[in-house]
Amino acid sequence: MTTTIEAEAPPYAAIAVQGVARSFGDVRAVDNATLTVPAGSVTALIGPNGCGKTTLMLMLAGLLRPDEGTISVAGHDPRTDAAAVRAAIGWMPDQLGSWDNLTCLQTLTLMGQAYRVNKADARARGEHLLGRVHLEEFAHRPARVLSRGQKQRLSLARALVHDPQVLLLDEPANGLDPRSRIELRDLVRELAGEGRAVLISSHVLAELDEMVDGAVFMSKGRTMGDEAAAMVAEARTKYRVDALDRDALIAALRSSSVPLEETDTGVILRIDGDDNAADALAWIVGKGVRVHRFGPVGSALEQTYMAMNEERR
Amino acid sequence: MSTDTTTASELRMDPSSSRPPARRGNPWAPSLHGVGLMTSIELRRRRPTTKGYIFYGILFALVAAICILAAVFTQADRSSANFELVLILVLGVGMLIAPSLSATSINGDSGEGVLAPLQMSHLTAGDIAFGKVIASWLVSVIALVALSPFLIYTYLSSGWHLGEVAMTIGAILFTVLAFTAVGLAWSSLAARAVASVSLAHLTTGVFLIGTLVAFAIGGALVTEDTGERDRYIDYEQLTPDAQAALEEAYTTGDYSTLDAADYPCVDSEWAYTVTHTDQIAWILLLNPAVMVIETAPIVDPETWEKDGRAAPGTFALLHQQISDARLGPVEGEATRWVYDECDDLFGSGAEAAEMTEEEMEAQWAADEAAAAEREQQLANLPRNPWPALGVLAVLFLGSMTIVVRRLRVPYKKLRSGTRVA
Repeated sequence: MTTTIEAEAPPYAAIAVQGVARSFGDVRAVDNATLTVPAGSVTALIGPNGCGKTTLMLMLAGLLRPDEGTISVAGHDPRTDAAAVRAAIGWMPDQLGSWDNLTCLQTLTLMGQAYRVNKADARARGEHLLGRVHLEEFAHRPARVLSRGQKQRLSLARALVHDPQVLLLDEPANGLDPRSRIELRDLVRELAGEGRAVLISSHVLAELDEMVDGAVFMSKGRTMGDEAAAMVAEARTKYRVDALDRDALIAALRSSSVPLEETDTGVILRIDGDDNAADALAWIVGKGVRVHRFGPVGSALEQTYMAMNEERR
Repeated sequence: MSTDTTTASELRMDPSSSRPPARRGNPWAPSLHGVGLMTSIELRRRRPTTKGYIFYGILFALVAAICILAAVFTQADRSSANFELVLILVLGVGMLIAPSLSATSINGDSGEGVLAPLQMSHLTAGDIAFGKVIASWLVSVIALVALSPFLIYTYLSSGWHLGEVAMTIGAILFTVLAFTAVGLAWSSLAARAVASVSLAHLTTGVFLIGTLVAFAIGGALVTEDTGERDRYIDYEQLTPDAQAALEEAYTTGDYSTLDAADYPCVDSEWAYTVTHTDQIAWILLLNPAVMVIETAPIVDPETWEKDGRAAPGTFALLHQQISDARLGPVEGEATRWVYDECDDLFGSGAEAAEMTEEEMEAQWAADEAAAAEREQQLANLPRNPWPALGVLAVLFLGSMTIVVRRLRVPYKKLRSGTRVA
């Protein structure tokens, strides 16, 4: 049991961002971003195209200087200790770049050496990482033969060469096949399980739902703090109940004045927590209603995203 | 979950030893390890493709053909011309290839998305900048090595000393290095490769050709008109008799029968120019090719054979030309020999015209000696590669400063029209 306790790092904010803003000329790419990512957790960064996600990630990575606000990554301030910040971060950019005529293993070895790891260790680490992203068979083939999804995985491996405490993954699921997506999901969870803080941006919201511990929504360069969190929490309480006899279901619920939303095939209820859900299902079935479907309504992140987009219109 | 825990700690095990050392601040200075690693990354990933090897092969074949032809068509005598040709080819090839490579190095990498991951690593801006410039520059060193058989073969009959060869090759490589750095600076400033490559070659052109053009144009500014007065007999006012007598005298060479009063004289003024090239020779000395020539050994036009040299070759003759420009017009030459027909016929010149053969020979010998002395002076004028070397050093350091500043992250400003990654 002691090993388990040892493995659990005290949760502290590996990334803390307060009121960060950045403009390019007249364009205010990031207007006011505030977020924290605790160590050992996965946080999603969600927003429409051009809302400033990548710009925010670049500032976190220590590649871009914010105009305003404060950033702390792994306890370092990029303004004074930019090198320490960069060293603590594994960054997987949204733009895929690879050294086309170097092999995958050479790429990872050289990258490791660029982090001042000695060659033998860097090579061993590279081999290990290629296994982790399932590219072993390409270890000695040039990167130019890789498909888009494979390059994506190489890019992820490259972000891990120096064993970073913080991972910034910009659209890592882009171009991945369904199997690779599931593997990516498991890998990200594993990486968080090792105590790393992961900030991940993606458009595939259903995918994120199962991966993340928290979500930060961005719109027009602003992070939607508590308001969005409340919406997500609310969305998570929604349960869809479909019965063979829809009217009997509605009648049974109405008779006990349970608040509900009607749908074409049944109702949507708000239930807080798994225990309550089990009780609710038992109660409905006890009323003699033949329930054939009972579960959370789709993706909470997707619902929130769509709801926010509606607000904007 | 206990299995997960062991995997996690295992995973930590092997990388924990490979965890990079901690860093503080935001260093930019290059280090030996960083520059070396960056150079090797650049050399590996810019390894030419098959097409690239074909291109370099053709280039090498062309250069080799020129060298062989030159060797075939020159006499077996000791001559430095071929050696100097090979040196020029090395300079030319280096100036063409290395800046082209460096001028696509930064904006190209940035466009491909491979620059930012390197900037994230422990490599500093200085490491990346110097690694890149050295990698591009090494290509011209490789060109030099590829041409070394010709270099060595032609060196054997060139009469140059080994130390002089080292100095001139060093000057060539430094020139290439400076312009490679300029190419890299352009590639850090311009967003697109087309722009940076053309700007890089334009800069090279300004120094190689522009200085010559500027020297030529500048010549007009330091040229002054010097009036000169000639006198000759006014034929239009001559009586037919006098004219006939004069013609007679010209054929016989006996002028004593002519009466000076019959021959009115007219003055004629005309202008000729003197260009004080010594005032603008510094423009010429800024030219890197001139600088390379100025590092070549001095070959005395009189004593070369005794000195164990080949006859003055291309570089030596060009050195004389450059020296001529540096010294400017000869003082004595400014007061030209004035043509005075009247004086020749009737004045003091009449006696001079009756110089004895010995006197005339002495005169010619004196003229010849003066010309030889001038040539000696030009050939032996101390070489001056320093202005161009200074400019190249400033170009190199300035360019590298720009590159390092542009590569430092976090960026304050971005190249317009680009993204970070």
